[in-house]
Amino acid sequence: MALRAAILGHIRVPVQTLTQNGRILQPWNLLNSNRSMSSHGDDHLDKEEVIERVLSVVKSFPKVDPSKVTPDVHFQNDLGLDSLDTVEIVMALEEEFKLEIPDKEADKINSCKLAVEYIANHPMAG
Amino acid sequence: MSTGLVRRAISRVSSNPASKLLFARAHASEVQAQQVEPKAQDNSKLKTFSIYRWNPDNPSKPELKDYQIDLKDCGPMVLDALIKIKNEIDPTLTFRRSCREGICGSCAMNIDGCNGLACLTKIESGEASTVTPLPHMFVIKDLVVDMTNFYNQYKSIEPWLKRKTPPPVPGKEVPQSKKDRAKLDGMYECILCACCSTSCPSYWWNPESYLGPAALLHAHRWISDSRDEYTKERLDAINDEFKLYRCHTILNCARACPKGLNPGKQITTIKQLQLSS
Amino acid sequence: MKLTGLQKQVLGLYRGFLRAARTKGSEERKKIESIVSSEFRRHAKSIERKNFIYIEYLLRRGTKQLEQLKNPDTLSLSTVPVRHHPS
Repeated sequence: MALRAAILGHIRVPVQTLTQNGRILQPWNLLNSNRSMSSHGDDHLDKEEVIERVLSVVKSFPKVDPSKVTPDVHFQNDLGLDSLDTVEIVMALEEEFKLEIPDKEADKINSCKLAVEYIANHPMAG
Repeated sequence: MSTGLVRRAISRVSSNPASKLLFARAHASEVQAQQVEPKAQDNSKLKTFSIYRWNPDNPSKPELKDYQIDLKDCGPMVLDALIKIKNEIDPTLTFRRSCREGICGSCAMNIDGCNGLACLTKIESGEASTVTPLPHMFVIKDLVVDMTNFYNQYKSIEPWLKRKTPPPVPGKEVPQSKKDRAKLDGMYECILCACCSTSCPSYWWNPESYLGPAALLHAHRWISDSRDEYTKERLDAINDEFKLYRCHTILNCARACPKGLNPGKQITTIKQLQLSS
Repeated sequence: MKLTGLQKQVLGLYRGFLRAARTKGSEERKKIESIVSSEFRRHAKSIERKNFIYIEYLLRRGTKQLEQLKNPDTLSLSTVPVRHHPS
């Protein structure tokens, strides 16, 4: 018995425009309203803050032993993660910092150090 | 070789008295062979089909698998043989088929090196035939290929009537004279089986960027339609080094087409229209 | 460890699925992530590293499924168990 490839649930729904008090609610408004704002108005985030937030994302990853996480930790060599886990972590970092990291860059990020470097240098990181 | 001759000679006796002479000759020189293979005496006519097999669920390399069937107990077309093999020998053999009369285009495959519809291709009288999927296409399973790219290319030429003005009588169809309708002959018959495109070396090398004979034939079908008002836009859309001009008039397409169409000729007409427009 | 082109494609596809999951409802997102993750991990374990024909086949199939999942009309994703007959 083996699970076969995913069968997509393809359900048609009528197109609706969500309106409230005549104003169109756009999903990104909802997202932006509860995003964690950094405490300064500079283009780039403070590096210390980036490190702290990156580490907290990595520590909260279910397969990771939080006591092993340091700013220099390598995802696969030190934390025993595989390449798919790495993709998940980088995706979680994207969400934390409201970024979309292109595949080419994302493939290179395999440690906390590289993640911090990329995010700290990214003008859009929030 | 020789035993095959005997068998064929014998099998003809019952249906065609004219071949009796042939039978006698073959018999006289092949007595020994007959003793070795007593099968030749019964009324069967065996043929081996070597069929490409690959099943993604049992990951292993693709292979040609041999199936021997009795042509005496089988319809005349390659599709009949495939259905017989699936019904009686190996139910896992997978291929597309529907109409069995050359109008749906499902059973396009490569039979003895030539692309064609299995339902319109007669079983050759030789001892063996090879059946493989359409060449240079990604295989999904056995003889079933991935048509996604082919269909997307067809979609890209916008195969529908496009108008800038409303029809003469609002809400009614746009009429067309018999003469204008006749201009679509040789194009509207295409059933998109992909025999032509997958026989084209240019398409093999540039399957993504070159539209291929089938899509271009359909492009011309809409360019030529008297009711369509986007002729110039259609010509401009395909006036591209790769989309159109990868056709080097090799004309494998015309040879492969099971409907007897000539996509290469239609492409040449498009090229001429590009010059004059 | 340097990734091969094929590995990059697989990871890119995985990323694509996770991105598409973000656009669905939060319940559905969890469900999609769990199905996609177990599919990729199951294949990563069971497929021989050099079985390129099969890996490329799965990439094409996955890309097609991702296209369907990206459609805003697609709300979720589910699986059905299929029993394999020994051949």
